[in-house]
Amino acid sequence: MKIPRHKRTGQQLRVENFGPIRQADVTFSDLTVLVGPQATGKSILLQLLKLLVDTAYIKREFNRAGVDWAGDFDGFLDVYFGEGMRSLWTNRTRITHSGEAVKLPERVEEKRAHRQESMFFIPAQRVLALRDGWPSAFNYYDASVPFTLREFSEHLRLLMSEFGVEGTLFPVSRRLKSEFRDLLQDHIFPGFDLKIDTDRAQKRLVLTGKESGGGGLPVAVWSAGQREFVPLLLGLYYLMVPAKAPLRKGVEWAVVEELEMGLHPRAISVVMLMLFELMARGYRVCISTHSPQVLDAVWTLQRLHDHGASPSSLLEVFNVAKTPPMSKLAEQVMKRQVKVYYFDRGAGITRDISNLDSSAEEAGDSGWGGLTEFSGRASAAVARAVANSDRRPRS
Amino acid sequence: MTAEEAVDATPHLQGKWRKGLQALRPEDKPHIQAADTRALTGSFDLDSALMRLPEHALANRWDFGIGYLHENRDAECLYWVELHTASDREVDVVLAKLRWLRNWLDGDGKALDAFERDFVWVSSGSTHYTLNGPQRRAFADLGLRQTGGILSIPKDRR
Repeated sequence: MKIPRHKRTGQQLRVENFGPIRQADVTFSDLTVLVGPQATGKSILLQLLKLLVDTAYIKREFNRAGVDWAGDFDGFLDVYFGEGMRSLWTNRTRITHSGEAVKLPERVEEKRAHRQESMFFIPAQRVLALRDGWPSAFNYYDASVPFTLREFSEHLRLLMSEFGVEGTLFPVSRRLKSEFRDLLQDHIFPGFDLKIDTDRAQKRLVLTGKESGGGGLPVAVWSAGQREFVPLLLGLYYLMVPAKAPLRKGVEWAVVEELEMGLHPRAISVVMLMLFELMARGYRVCISTHSPQVLDAVWTLQRLHDHGASPSSLLEVFNVAKTPPMSKLAEQVMKRQVKVYYFDRGAGITRDISNLDSSAEEAGDSGWGGLTEFSGRASAAVARAVANSDRRPRS
Repeated sequence: MTAEEAVDATPHLQGKWRKGLQALRPEDKPHIQAADTRALTGSFDLDSALMRLPEHALANRWDFGIGYLHENRDAECLYWVELHTASDREVDVVLAKLRWLRNWLDGDGKALDAFERDFVWVSSGSTHYTLNGPQRRAFADLGLRQTGGILSIPKDRR
C-alpha cells in the first residue's frame, strides 16, 4: 500500500543546542500544539521544520528576490530566521529529522530539485503584513525580516488577485462554510463586510457597514482584534481553497502561531473550529499558543474521543449549530490525533504533555505548561480563605 | 491543644491518632508528599472511625485528616483530605462529603474545628477536569481545593 508522503516525512524532529532549545523531541501529529513561556524556542522550532520540509522552495524564493548569502551559512541564518539569528547555530547543534541526521549548513547549499511549498506558515507577526492596508511583496521587506513573515505577506498579496478589484473578502460563500461565516459575523465582524477599496489609485482593505456611514474603514481604525484576525482569515482562505480538492496543491502542513492574539474567547473558539476544518481537510496542523482556552479545546477533543462521546457533544462545547456539515466536521476531527509539547525554559527541553493530565506530578505538566498555573494558585488561595473563614477560635 | 489531643477529645476518635501517615492505607500514601516528613505530626482515618455509627453509616463521610507543623506557623495545620476519583459524575458526592464534614466539625468534631486547615480533594486517578474551568472556582467558593493526584505540603504555609 502506498503511504501518503506526509505520513512518511517530517513526523519527528529532534533538536539539540539550537538557540534557546537545549533538547527538543517533537513528534508531529494531525494537530501539534506547542506551549511554553516566551522565547523558549517554539517559533524557532516551527521555522526550522519549515526550513527542513521546504528547503528548495525557500532557496528559490530568496533567489527570485535577489537575496544572496554567498555561501555563508551564518548569513543564511540571518536572512531566514531574521537579523541577528546567526547565533542560533553552534558547533554543538544537532538536528535529526524523521530519524535522519541533518547537517544544516550542507543542506542549505545542496542543489535540490524544486518542489512546491508544502508548509504554509501564518506567523505571529502577521499583523505587519497588512500594516499599510494592503499586503506587501516579499521584496518590500528588508533582509532583517524573517522569511516566514515575508513569504506570508507575499502569499496574501497574490491571494488578493483571486478576489478581483472592488471584491468582497468577507462574507463570501465559496471560501467558508456558512456556519463559520455566521460565527465570524457574530464575534468578529458584527455588521461589517471586509472589502477591497481604492484610495487615490491605491488598493486597500476596508471594513464597510452601517457604522462606517457607507464609506470604508481603513486598517488604522479597526479594532485590535480585527487587525490581528484579518491576516489570519486571509491565511485560512489561502488554505481553504474554493475547489473540490480539500487541500491547496502541494501544501500538507499548516502552521498558525499564537492564533489567539487580540481575540475575545468567543472568537478564539471560532478560530479553533476553523483549525478543526483544516484538520478535517487533511492538513497537518501545528500551532503555538499562550491561551489556556486552546488547551481546553484540545483537552475536550481528546476526552470526548476517549470516552466515546458523540460528535454533537463537541459542537455543544463550541456552541455551534448541529448542522450536517458541522456534524461531519466534528466526526472527522474527533478521529484525529493530537500532540501537545511544553517548552520548559528552566530545563531547556520539551516535554510531551499530550495527556493534559491535571493530576501529573510535574507542575509544568499538570499546569499545562504554565497556562493554568495562575488559575490553580488563585483557586487554592480562595479555597483556603473560605475554608478558614468560619472555623472556631483557638482556645 | 495539639491535633493529637484534639482527636483524643473528639467523640469516637479516641486513640485513632497515628504517627506520620500511618492512618492512611499503603496505596493512599503516595498521594501525599510533605516537604519535611518530620513535620507530619500525624493522621487519623475519619471515615473508618465513624462508619459503624448509625448516624454516619449511610452518610458520605470524609476520608482522613493529616496534621502538619509548617515552619512559619506556631500550631499545626490540618489537611482534610478526600481521595476520590476526579470526574464530573463524582462532584455531587464529594460536595456532599464536604457538607457532611463541615456539619460534623460544627458538632462532634468541634475540637478539631479550631485548627487552621485546607479541605482538599486529591484525585485517586486521572483528573477529568480542565483546571482552567469554572468548576474549580466553584469548588474554591465552597472552600474546597482540588490538587490533582498529589497533595504537596510545603515547608512554609502561604
